[in-house]
Amino acid sequence: MHRLAITLPLILCSLNAYSEESFWDNLQVHGFASQAVIKTSDNRFFGDSPDTSFDFTEIGINASLPVNPQILLAGQLLARRAGDMYDGTPTLDYGLADMTFASSAEQRWGVRLGRIKNSLGIYNETRDVPFTRPGIFLPQVIYYDKVRNLMLSTDGLMFYGESYHDDRGTLSLTLGGGQSVIDDNVAWAFLGNDFGGELEPDGVAGLFRFWYTTPEERLQLGVSGALVSMQFEPGQYSPLSAGTTDLFFWIVSFQYGAEDWTLTAEYAGEPIKWRDYQSPFSPDRDVTAESYYLQGAYRLRPDLQLLLRYEEGYADRNDRDGVQSSAMTGGAIPPFNSFSKIWTAGLRWDIDQHWMVRAEYQRHQGTFILSSKENPDPGQPQADWNLWAVQAVFRF
Amino acid sequence: MDRRLNSVPTVNFAPARTGRFLRRLLMGWVLACGPFTLAAQELIVNEAAPQQSMSRNEARLCFTMRLPTWENRIPVKVFVLPDDHPVHRQFTKSILGLFPYQLRQVWDRQIFSGTGQAPITVATEQEMIERVATTPGGIGYVGSGANHPQVRVLEVR
Repeated sequence: MHRLAITLPLILCSLNAYSEESFWDNLQVHGFASQAVIKTSDNRFFGDSPDTSFDFTEIGINASLPVNPQILLAGQLLARRAGDMYDGTPTLDYGLADMTFASSAEQRWGVRLGRIKNSLGIYNETRDVPFTRPGIFLPQVIYYDKVRNLMLSTDGLMFYGESYHDDRGTLSLTLGGGQSVIDDNVAWAFLGNDFGGELEPDGVAGLFRFWYTTPEERLQLGVSGALVSMQFEPGQYSPLSAGTTDLFFWIVSFQYGAEDWTLTAEYAGEPIKWRDYQSPFSPDRDVTAESYYLQGAYRLRPDLQLLLRYEEGYADRNDRDGVQSSAMTGGAIPPFNSFSKIWTAGLRWDIDQHWMVRAEYQRHQGTFILSSKENPDPGQPQADWNLWAVQAVFRF
Repeated sequence: MDRRLNSVPTVNFAPARTGRFLRRLLMGWVLACGPFTLAAQELIVNEAAPQQSMSRNEARLCFTMRLPTWENRIPVKVFVLPDDHPVHRQFTKSILGLFPYQLRQVWDRQIFSGTGQAPITVATEQEMIERVATTPGGIGYVGSGANHPQVRVLEVR
């Protein structure tokens, strides 16, 4: 009894001492929640916006745990409600093991395994984390919300390497592949309807990212891209045959950050091939979509930021005014459905380390960025429309 | 003072910028000599850290959470003050050569894509010294005068 009385506290003590060093202490949990209110003059965007929409909600929670300094386990659950496009069902946003094989003050390389966010452009990796975005909405001509899942994440493997230099800066390369995560918004975006079948990933999607940053991170230059193939599995009553859609999405990125302002520009090209659908709705064709934006952010104070952006996106770079593709449908789809030209002005206030609010105004010409799932009648949309939105964000 | 001079760009190609440069220089000089001295920021480490000095590049890698271990394989544990703390702003700018919003962007990208972790935020400089002192592999910073037997000031080259 005496011995127990002595050893028990000792064991507890040593357990306690161990737990101070145990890896559970390094568990980190972070999260966020946002709610937006959206009003448009015409056209449905993130819900019933002509009548004021509250259907844009983002809730995320993540955890990360280093098993040792070389291995990090991390995962995030995301519930996102976005009009008729997403209903808020929680999904695994990412879930991965990050293994660093070598790291020093000169270089670092390793591999990520699992569901990995695609590092496309400047914003894609954290596109659903509201305070990492410059505005309430990312530039829609590149970071489409009508078809976000295709570019969102990959179930697979990603190699990364970084080289650091005092004077020259940082070079980093990411190369990987796996299966793209696809949902029925993809069918609506690339086929214009779900056509009673399933559009599924066909083979392995490839991803790359090559990035340069100056030593003090003022200037960033990068190129990134994804190569994706999809196969259509027709249902019993589907008017389409088992066709394929292949696309190569690539982005050139530029960002310069000074103390008070940040200038960002990106250009994206997207050659798309449709094959073997054997249907007048979806003939064999090759089209290259093209888009770009220029964005300036000015910090009036560290907690107060102005945003100004201009963006243009075209469904087909050889038919910028959309006249040919409209003619192909006998005028059923208006020409302005093939392009979007958008001016955005916004103001963001970071109230404290947990809360942020912002407001945004957009002037749209064209309806290329609209979801056909939200606007199923192609004759309905208006070419020129306005958008007002406010958003409140909480993070921890 | 030395460090502040180092952080000022040496290439001046516009008269307006030269004016700003001189103004900043003057302001720095006034601040350094005035009664409310904004002393040079000090990078502090736990006594277990092997090195005596650190390059700016290494310091940046540490505070952007890209250097997981010290040379003696002890995990690096980074402590920071809140984003809007004056010492954090000063340290970020004059020692790391970064703007506080850039650090926040780097951390957020890592935290919310599962590719890294956030540094541990402490509320005060006193807490910073305590935590670095009691954490093997700990690294942080103070405005000046980290007098603690388990804490060492590291020179940033």
